[in-house]
Amino acid sequence: MPPEASLSAPPAPAVRALSCPNCGGTVELRAAGYTVHVGCQYCGSILDTTDGLVKLVTQAHAAQGTPDIPLGTRGTLFGVEWEAIGYLRRSQDYYRWDEYLLFNPYHGYRWLVNARGGWSFGTMLARVPTWQTFSSYMLDGAAYTRFFAGTATVDRVVGEFYWRVAVGETVKTGDWVRPGFMLSRETSDREESWTLNQWVPDRVMVRAFGVAPAGRVWPPLPHQPSPWGAWLGKGALIGGIALAFLLALSIVLGGTTWFASQALPVAVDGREQNATIGPLHLSGRYQRVQVRSTVPRLENGWVDLDYSLVDRRTQQVFAASGAAERYEGTDSDGPWTEGSRDSDVSIAAVPAGDYDLVVDYKGNRWSENGTFYPDGGWMEPTNAPQIVVEVGTGTLYGSNLFLAALLVALPWVIGLVLHLRFEKARKGESDFQPKPSEGSDD
Amino acid sequence: MPRRPNCSAASADFPMSLHLPCPNCGADVVFRSPALPARVCDTCHSMLVRSDAGLAQFGIAAALPFDVSPVQIGMRGTDAGQAFEVIGRVRWSWTDGAWNEWLLLFEDGGTAWLGEAMGQFMLLREYPFGDVRSKTLRAVANGEPAQVGGRIELFGRKLAITDARQALCITAEGELPFVAPSGWQVYNVDLRGPDGECVSLQRDGKATSFYRGRYVTLAELAPCGLRAIEGWALPDYAA
Repeated sequence: MPPEASLSAPPAPAVRALSCPNCGGTVELRAAGYTVHVGCQYCGSILDTTDGLVKLVTQAHAAQGTPDIPLGTRGTLFGVEWEAIGYLRRSQDYYRWDEYLLFNPYHGYRWLVNARGGWSFGTMLARVPTWQTFSSYMLDGAAYTRFFAGTATVDRVVGEFYWRVAVGETVKTGDWVRPGFMLSRETSDREESWTLNQWVPDRVMVRAFGVAPAGRVWPPLPHQPSPWGAWLGKGALIGGIALAFLLALSIVLGGTTWFASQALPVAVDGREQNATIGPLHLSGRYQRVQVRSTVPRLENGWVDLDYSLVDRRTQQVFAASGAAERYEGTDSDGPWTEGSRDSDVSIAAVPAGDYDLVVDYKGNRWSENGTFYPDGGWMEPTNAPQIVVEVGTGTLYGSNLFLAALLVALPWVIGLVLHLRFEKARKGESDFQPKPSEGSDD
Repeated sequence: MPRRPNCSAASADFPMSLHLPCPNCGADVVFRSPALPARVCDTCHSMLVRSDAGLAQFGIAAALPFDVSPVQIGMRGTDAGQAFEVIGRVRWSWTDGAWNEWLLLFEDGGTAWLGEAMGQFMLLREYPFGDVRSKTLRAVANGEPAQVGGRIELFGRKLAITDARQALCITAEGELPFVAPSGWQVYNVDLRGPDGECVSLQRDGKATSFYRGRYVTLAELAPCGLRAIEGWALPDYAA
């Protein structure tokens, strides 16, 4: 809806030109009515422009240099167009950074901070973060960990500001961070103010304000999110899904297909016996062959099992062995059983072909007198002792699954290493980095 | 959902509205509320005060210095579901800058101030100082200076004194609850809470006024009739 005609007569001019009382240079006022001090870009003098009149505050004769973003440059960040109207170079010990004051008459002021090539977008807070512990503050439900503390000095001033800015002015600063955000407190003897700085990726700044790309900022900014951080979470999710899929696949497809079964009688006298099961046709290029022997009557005894899978054509032998053993009894703790009536063995990577499975087996009694059994134990002829041998093939094998899991995990592990390296470099810049010699009280 | 103010509607004509000729230039001046006895003539900038005896002139209001404020007289908006219109402004200054106080007249005849400083806005309503239970603020009302950084407990919140300064009236326009002559000085103390709530105390000699409110954004007031500023697109929130 367009504003009513009578309300929007001619638009108010946005810029007012002043002439510097020191050097005569033209100083543009882009936030008239708000601006208190202007730093002349030609001579560095500070002018007071509160309500119209221009007064010289401090006289200087040195140009303050041209900021990377020339004042008057406009750019769109977070959906709003901003104009750079002020520039400050500040420092704290050896650390220097640039600050640009952004203005939009309908949205007020914001800050653009450039430290070591990395950019942040700062919004002054009307609310006050709540003190959590001596090393953290809370704002809107998020915790910020302390990072810097010190005193910042203004070294250079160009353009206009809504307070009495002066070269050499100092404020006490404190910074708290969480990934992507820095909470900054500035305290002077007159006031305390809080600013929330949001990290802005290089490419966004290049597009918005046409700055030169800085490339990699190393060590990272205190609040720069680890580029691997988000990737790790996503990687863990994708890897987890892949692993779950692999597991499901191995359960669905990796289930053994049983295709041969034969019952072999067990001799009562416990001699070595053998039997041949075949032909067994294996059609896959390579497969796992699983042999399961079950001894239904087995009680207090064991059966030794030796398998030889013989290729009919090449006479190549794949050997495996197993045992089924089961015992039971009663002691002071009550009745007990041990062992299992079946034996499972598998032979990996058997090539295609026709095979015979030769089973050598021998039944044994554990307690030969058989006093536990009125019928004389499991091998008595009345029990018709026998072994049921089943042969099956499977397509997946545990180690394959493991290998696949390793392949899935490898990039993630590399990402984790890079992430930890990034975080170490980032935290290494902090005034509060934990020292190994210190106790655990931090 | 607060109802959107209708920008195309004619300026609200309150039942109390009183049209009088300016004693200085004869132009028609409107007084829309008995609570707002002062106004600056839009034509000749005379400062006028209405009383039973008629209109008296209190000098001429100084010209407003050029600024790029997005607010202007006639701007409408809503707060807490109630529509308002901007009908007056006082511009103040202090040693470190200047700011605007815009007077809002609500549908129910109530008023509030929209303080505009450093690109931020505060919406404040007058609150009886007699109901303010604070020793610190009582002391300030009795002439003591306020300590910036000091903390007090008020309305169940912890508030910090963020500003204490002598303010100087630069000029005024539109309708006002008081005469605001240029050069008028008041002692102003601002306090701020953790969630953007704020209170303001103004001491003028023996009299103390007290205001209570919160930080707001222009967007949440759903404004229309914002001032157009050359080269700047009107914001989305004013569409």
